[in-house]
Amino acid sequence: MERTKNNRCFEELFQLYLPERIRCAVANIQESYISDLEELRIRAGFPLMGVFSGYDCFITPDGRLTGDSSHALTVTLDELNNLFYSLCEHSVYAYQEDIKRGFITLRGGHRAGICGTVVYQGEEITGIRDISSVNIRLSRQLKGCADGLIDSIIRNKCDIYNTLILSPPRCGKTTLLRDIARHISQGSSNFRGLRTAVIDERSEIAANYKGIPQNDLGPRTDILNGCRKKDGIEIALRGMSPHVIIVDELGDQKDAEAIKMAWNAGVRIIATAHAFSLEDFKGRFGVGQLASQNGFERIILLGMNDGERWVRVMDANGNELDFLNQNDWLSHDFYRLHSNRTEVVSQADTEAACTSKIYRDTC
Amino acid sequence: MSARLTQRQRALQKFIEILVNLKGQMCGLGIPLVAAFENIGKENTGGVWSDIFMQCSSIMKERNINAGEAWKKALENNKNIYLDECDYEQLWDFGERLGKSDRLNQEKVLELEKEKLTIMEKKAREVAETRGKLYRSLGALTGAAVVILLI
Repeated sequence: MERTKNNRCFEELFQLYLPERIRCAVANIQESYISDLEELRIRAGFPLMGVFSGYDCFITPDGRLTGDSSHALTVTLDELNNLFYSLCEHSVYAYQEDIKRGFITLRGGHRAGICGTVVYQGEEITGIRDISSVNIRLSRQLKGCADGLIDSIIRNKCDIYNTLILSPPRCGKTTLLRDIARHISQGSSNFRGLRTAVIDERSEIAANYKGIPQNDLGPRTDILNGCRKKDGIEIALRGMSPHVIIVDELGDQKDAEAIKMAWNAGVRIIATAHAFSLEDFKGRFGVGQLASQNGFERIILLGMNDGERWVRVMDANGNELDFLNQNDWLSHDFYRLHSNRTEVVSQADTEAACTSKIYRDTC
Repeated sequence: MSARLTQRQRALQKFIEILVNLKGQMCGLGIPLVAAFENIGKENTGGVWSDIFMQCSSIMKERNINAGEAWKKALENNKNIYLDECDYEQLWDFGERLGKSDRLNQEKVLELEKEKLTIMEKKAREVAETRGKLYRSLGALTGAAVVILLI
């Protein structure tokens, strides 16, 4: 049901933005594959490519998937430029801040990454010209993907633990964070929902489009879109009096200072960061101290091993909590995708596959 | 004839006012063209241009085409404004440059267009004053001649 709905959303998206030849090719892709489509990579002068559950496939003009690039639809520069203008609603100036950051948020929470020649003015990026490729990343909110671990971050009926989600890139941190935000804001039978502020620096969590969040983050959530974490935390503390502040991808010293400021104000923080382990994170300059000083009380570690997804929930000292064993909420089998050449893509080894797995499980 | 010249001058004058509004929406607020055109179309102050902006917005939305093409189509659908052919050409060129660059550049496009239109409007005003007077005098003389002939 959810999949059909998603496919329909994608159809609307394709209809709205894609040039005709690309739209026809994508429209002809078998529906079961469309459900697994994660990215559409469009490069001037190169074959049209899709990423299906983590695997690259070229797309032929009649919508077949192939590993042979010579059979694929070759995208022209005109098509790419038209696509770019279309993504900007033919108003480049209105999206220049997004373009500077290298992506445009689209209706439905999808995102188009942009590559081309970067233009600098002094030290600052002022734009991207001569667009050479566009990567349309399809967004799927995986409602329920945090069901199995939400209890571990709830302290009592009206409080939660400061929580840090760690994983290597593309392991589903933001997806998990989004669902945790929804849970905390919405509440449940044993937990009263809390006022939540989301500092969505890169429009990834809420995916605001013209001020409207495209993802469900619950009824008690305020979103500061496109705002730096440091500024956002300050604004939220001053104006929105949240119980919980949610931020994605902690990086530098300024982020750490902002987090401490929130803790000093008695606000709980849920954050994510790129790291392979707790020790790895602790070694980071600036933000590492947030974990080593027992600031974060719960650490959620995500990872993949030979296609197996694992989740560990730990306390501040790195002790694994016994009430949540690895994989007990995520029985995993290999995800298979049959390409047009009936080639079985064997083992899922990327986050994309794991995301898609959760998706299937939850639906 | 005299009324036509006055209407042309007024249309150009109104368009200059609209450009100021458009600049505010585009460069100040960063509103995309479809919405900016629609906003101008909805305002009562647009005069003869309201319909054109409204249509341009609808065309862009429905056909997903750029502002230049939509603007040209909207102008072609509304040839009832008393503009000269050179005025239309100027406006088509203006439409072609809309939406294709960053705010700073768009601001320059709008400023340049405003300057050009100000010159055109000034000339139109002069023409309306001199030729308008001539046409009015000719009209009065013709009327007098007709009356004399009838008597």
